[in-house]
Amino acid sequence: MTQNDVRSTKPVPVVAPWARPFWDAAHEGRLILQHCEDCDRVIHYPRMACPHCSSTNLGWQPASGRGTIYSFTVVQSNAPSAFAGDVPYVVAVIRLEEGVQMLSNIVECNNDDLVCDQPVQVVFERLDDEFNLPKFRPVR
Amino acid sequence: MANNRGQTAIIGIGEVPTGRHRDQGAISFALESALMAIADAGLDKNEIDFVIPTGSLFSSQFSNELATCRLVEELGLKNVTSNCEVFSGGSSSTNALRVASALIETGRARSILFVHTDKLGTGLSAQGGIDLFSTAGISMEWEVPYGQHYSTVAALATERYKFETGTTDEQLSAVCVSNRKWAELNPNAFFRTPLTIEEVMASKMLSTPLRAKQSNMLFDGGAAYVVTSAERARDLSEKPVYVLGEGGLVTHFAYHQEPDLTRFGWAQAGRQAFEDAGITPADIDVAEIYDSYPIYQLIAFEEIGLCGRGEAGALHMSGATAPGGTIPTTTDGGMLSKGHIGAGGSVSLLVEAARQIMGKAGPRQVPDCRFAVETAVGGTYMDAQVTILGSEIP
Repeated sequence: MTQNDVRSTKPVPVVAPWARPFWDAAHEGRLILQHCEDCDRVIHYPRMACPHCSSTNLGWQPASGRGTIYSFTVVQSNAPSAFAGDVPYVVAVIRLEEGVQMLSNIVECNNDDLVCDQPVQVVFERLDDEFNLPKFRPVR
Repeated sequence: MANNRGQTAIIGIGEVPTGRHRDQGAISFALESALMAIADAGLDKNEIDFVIPTGSLFSSQFSNELATCRLVEELGLKNVTSNCEVFSGGSSSTNALRVASALIETGRARSILFVHTDKLGTGLSAQGGIDLFSTAGISMEWEVPYGQHYSTVAALATERYKFETGTTDEQLSAVCVSNRKWAELNPNAFFRTPLTIEEVMASKMLSTPLRAKQSNMLFDGGAAYVVTSAERARDLSEKPVYVLGEGGLVTHFAYHQEPDLTRFGWAQAGRQAFEDAGITPADIDVAEIYDSYPIYQLIAFEEIGLCGRGEAGALHMSGATAPGGTIPTTTDGGMLSKGHIGAGGSVSLLVEAARQIMGKAGPRQVPDCRFAVETAVGGTYMDAQVTILGSEIP
C-alpha cells in the first residue's frame, strides 16, 4: 500500500465542536477532562451537556494522567486495514484516577506482561499535524 | 406499566439457509423468507396490514429499497397501511417484535410482517467485513482512531471476565462446541461438521484471548416472522407462540463507556422480562442466547438468571447446554455455527425460539417445549434485550 492509498491513512478523530479543547490540549501534550460546574462531576468523553444533570455550565480541568487498565487486548491478526501494519498493538479501556473511562492504546510495554488493574500513565503520540493521541504506558 | 402478557403471538416463521449465495440477490432471501412466513401463518397475504423490514448492512442502496416499500410491491400486498423500518443492529429482532406487539395491542395494526435479509458473506470482501465492523457502531472520535473493531470489543470483555471469574479459555471454547452440536442438526446452518475444544484452541489468535474459531463469520441469509393478536392467532393456529414478556436496557454507544464489561444490562432486562411473563428462569425449556462471541453467551446466560455468576463456562463444558442437556441453548447453532448475517443474528434466534415452541424444530426439537427465552444485542453490546415466548399464558 502507498501513502496515497486511502485505506492506509490512519483514521483521525471526527471532532465534535464541544470536544475541541480536549484535542487542542492533547496537541500541546496535556490531558484535560470536562467538568460540570453545577453538579461537580468529571465527564469523559466530552458532552454538549452534562450527562448527569444536563447542565451546559461545563468547564475543563487538568487530569493527572494516571489510571489503571480495566481491560486490554493484543491485536495479532485480522486488524482493520488502516492498522494492519501495526500488529501486534494493544487496545485497552483505561480507568482514569478521576473516575472516568477512555479507550486507548498501551505503548512502550512488553505485551506479554500486561494485566488487568495494572497502573498506567499517559503519553502522547503524534498522529498528524493536527492530532496527538493520548496513549498509556505502564508505570515503572 | 401495563402488562401485555400473551396479547400478541408469532404465528408464522420463514428462513433461508445461511451461506454464500453468490448467484442470488438479497431480495431473493427476503421474498423467500416472507412467503414462507405468510404461508406458515395460514394468512391470506392481504391480511398483512403493516410491514417492518429491518436494515441491511451490505448495501445502503438495498437498505433504502427496503425502507421505501420494495417488499410490499414485490409481494403484492394490497392492504398495507405502513412500511416502516425498525433497525437497531443486532437487537432489531426484539425491537421490531416490541414495536409490532405495541401496534397490535393498541389496535393500530392487525397482522405484521417482519423481514430481515443481508448479504455480508458475498456482498463484501473478508477485509471489507472487518473494515465495516471497525466503524459500524464504533465512535469515530473516541475509538476508531485507536484501532477498535469487533474482535477487540469481544476480547476486552473476555479478558476482564476471565480476570474476575477465573473462567478458562477451554470453557469459552466449550460454547463454540455446544453451539456446533446444535448446528449439526440444523439444515439452515453453515458449519455442520463436528468441532472440538482442541480445534478451537488451536485456531489463529485474533486479539488476545480471542481466537478465530471463537469469532462469528459473516454470511448471506434471511428470515421473517408474522405477528398478530392472540385472538386472531387462536383462529389461525393450533399452537400460537405467545409473546409473554420483554425487558431491555440501553447501556452505551461507545464501548469504553460501559461501566461493567462483564455484566452489561442483562440483569435488569431479564428481571423485567421474567416479571412480565410471570415465570422464572427455572421454567425455561430452551434458551436462545445471542452468541456473536462466546463471552456474550456466557454473560447473558448468567445475568438473566439461568445460572450463577462465573458458572456458565463450566455448565457449557458439562454438556448441559448441548443436545440432550438440561438447558438446551442456542439451538440453531447461533452466529458461531449457523453464521452471522448482520441484524439477522438475533432474528435467527427469535425465529428458532418460535420454531421450538411450535414444535417444528425437527431433529433438534426440545421435547415438551413450553417456554423459551431469547436475547438480542446491537452495536458494541449497547443494549440488553430479552424476550420470553411460550405455548401457553401463565
